[in-house]
Amino acid sequence: MNRESAVYLDSFRLAQYSVQVPCYICSQGNNWDAELCRHCFAPMALAHQATAKRSPPHMIATIGASGAGKTVYLGMLMDMLSRQPDCLQILTRGGFSVNIQHTTIAALARREFPSKTPNEPDRWNWVHCQVGSGKRRRAAELIMPDMAGESLLEEVDHPHTYQVVRSFLSRCAGVLVLIDPTKVRAGNHDQDYFTVKLLSYLMELDADPKRGWPSRPIALVFSKADQCEECFFDPAGFAQTHTVGLWRHCQERFRRHRFFAAGMAGACAYRDVAGVGRVRVPLRVEPRGIVEPFHWLVQQVVG
Amino acid sequence: VLWNLVKHLARSKQLAALAAAAAGLAGVVLGWMAGSAWLPFVCGVIALSSGGFFLGLRRAARNGPSLRSEVAAAVAVTAGGAETGDLVEDMLRDGRHALLLRPQILSHLTADQRRRATEAQAAEMATVPAGEVLLGVAGEDLDEGRDDPNDPAARGALVEVDEFYLDRRPVTNREYLRFVAAGGYEQMAIWDPQIWPAVADFVDRSGKPGPRFWKNGCYESGQDDHPLVGVSWYEAAAYARWVGKRLPTSAEWEKAASSPVQLPDAAPLQRRFPWGESMQRSRANLWGAGPGRTVPVDDYREGTNASDIRQLIGNVWEWTLDDFREPGLVLPAPMKVIRGAAYDTYFESQATCQFASGEVPVSRKHNIGIRCALGACDFRPPSAPSRTEEHAAPAELVLADEPALDSEVALA
Repeated sequence: MNRESAVYLDSFRLAQYSVQVPCYICSQGNNWDAELCRHCFAPMALAHQATAKRSPPHMIATIGASGAGKTVYLGMLMDMLSRQPDCLQILTRGGFSVNIQHTTIAALARREFPSKTPNEPDRWNWVHCQVGSGKRRRAAELIMPDMAGESLLEEVDHPHTYQVVRSFLSRCAGVLVLIDPTKVRAGNHDQDYFTVKLLSYLMELDADPKRGWPSRPIALVFSKADQCEECFFDPAGFAQTHTVGLWRHCQERFRRHRFFAAGMAGACAYRDVAGVGRVRVPLRVEPRGIVEPFHWLVQQVVG
Repeated sequence: VLWNLVKHLARSKQLAALAAAAAGLAGVVLGWMAGSAWLPFVCGVIALSSGGFFLGLRRAARNGPSLRSEVAAAVAVTAGGAETGDLVEDMLRDGRHALLLRPQILSHLTADQRRRATEAQAAEMATVPAGEVLLGVAGEDLDEGRDDPNDPAARGALVEVDEFYLDRRPVTNREYLRFVAAGGYEQMAIWDPQIWPAVADFVDRSGKPGPRFWKNGCYESGQDDHPLVGVSWYEAAAYARWVGKRLPTSAEWEKAASSPVQLPDAAPLQRRFPWGESMQRSRANLWGAGPGRTVPVDDYREGTNASDIRQLIGNVWEWTLDDFREPGLVLPAPMKVIRGAAYDTYFESQATCQFASGEVPVSRKHNIGIRCALGACDFRPPSAPSRTEEHAAPAELVLADEPALDSEVALA
């Protein structure tokens, strides 16, 4: 026996599917209920949140070689500014924005560094937050991803490999470039070369003298300065002495750049982990110079 | 009058001497041309003496005033007096009373000097009674089941600590200046022999002997009562020896901070913080709770423990005698244990009485200072048994071989 049943046509759903929602990072169309952009894997929540705001969010990139400390820096920065809103105050938007802060601080509290950021863009942590201060009347919106160093290197060496990297760096308003000074001091020039590669890549993306990278702010941060204390006293002098190529490149190409030093661990040791090998562990957490580069960059970007 | 006139015209002694030397030389030439017998001789003497004076002034200007005289003058200002020439008085003024109270020296002091030394000692150091302390256990370990709470041996090392004295406050800049002014960096006998080749490297920002962040052998103005920072473990140990004390062991430090309560057939109950079990950020200068830099050693009095020992947690880390070791950790270099957290310590879990970190002994960090200790046995005559052996409760300190001095013998 046949049973009658009524199937309603959800035409409003079809209508939603027929209209493509552009990704905020790569501007490619996606379904309205997509979690990640199918082209660049950025969270579609960014697009939904951004369209709800009157002023579009500014984008700030944190880049550097693999192991330079991008995840720790971003996680620590977010946690510090959300806990002590003296100079800058950060309020995250969306649950996904708290992930990097959560994983970094949980790892540091266990006296471990967070695990390496995977190369797959769909597994990166993204931060969408509101940043404000007592002086500024209106808070600014910022978007900051935690990109994997190896993906950056791959994109620089083979452009268009990582669409999300290319799209984001093309559109972002400023960058924090992290450099490991311990390797630089040890005479390893990889950091120097890699940073120059990244900066050259930025120039390739947009070399317009007025709106391109020559006039966009770049904060160059020696990220593990707690292991290399001379950085703290004179970061620019350290760069001039130890990363001569990078120093000259910045002087010639970028009008708005500044060197900083930041440190997070008071002292470090090593632990042998089965299957991983010897990993560095922080003996205590004492953040220094974390907020200053970001503060400078926000001032340059937002005004 | 002539010299003053030349000096006034030249506006500096060096220029005046140079001008006088030049005038002398000119006189020699003119006298020789004029055929005079005595004029070249007199002018030559003037030229030579003026030239020598000029060179002397130039050398003095290059070297600057001697460090010793400069710092001694600073000490005289800060400490309220200059050297008296009396060794005991100088030691009392320099805060080296712990040396004077040694049994070997005490009998040579006058009653007034003994009284002053004892009073200074009682004001500066607190008595920590003998007892057991459990090292190497953290509350989180128990919470997460990483240790068996029923097995005292698995929870950490139970260490017996003899009675000792601990400074009530970290060493201040003002106190350390006396050590620098007294030539502490030149008295090699108080330094560990293995660091002798490197003592000359322990200089301040101007290249003079002293803590890393000082300048011209002195600290910045307004920092008199701030805790000393920027010294290596070796400098800390040398200073402690100079004042007749030593650095505390890690067990002593934790004993003083956590005030263990002995229970029968059980591990001692220890506090997480000197004031109790929960973190109260108003009681310690930590990240997010203070100004983000060191504060005077008398601030944060709410964080004082029951024995009136201040700032055990927060403000600056403190060097201890012990080597830093932790199971499973591979150290990049030998380290010494530091205790007590600092003004930039981020996690509350790293600012407890139980938390110990490590630092390379030659590093001179911005947030590591000194607190000195002294064993109670150091004040006893060599033959007297220790209180631990006697199982005696801590009591007033009785100084060796000395007639009772009513109030001054009690250091409690």
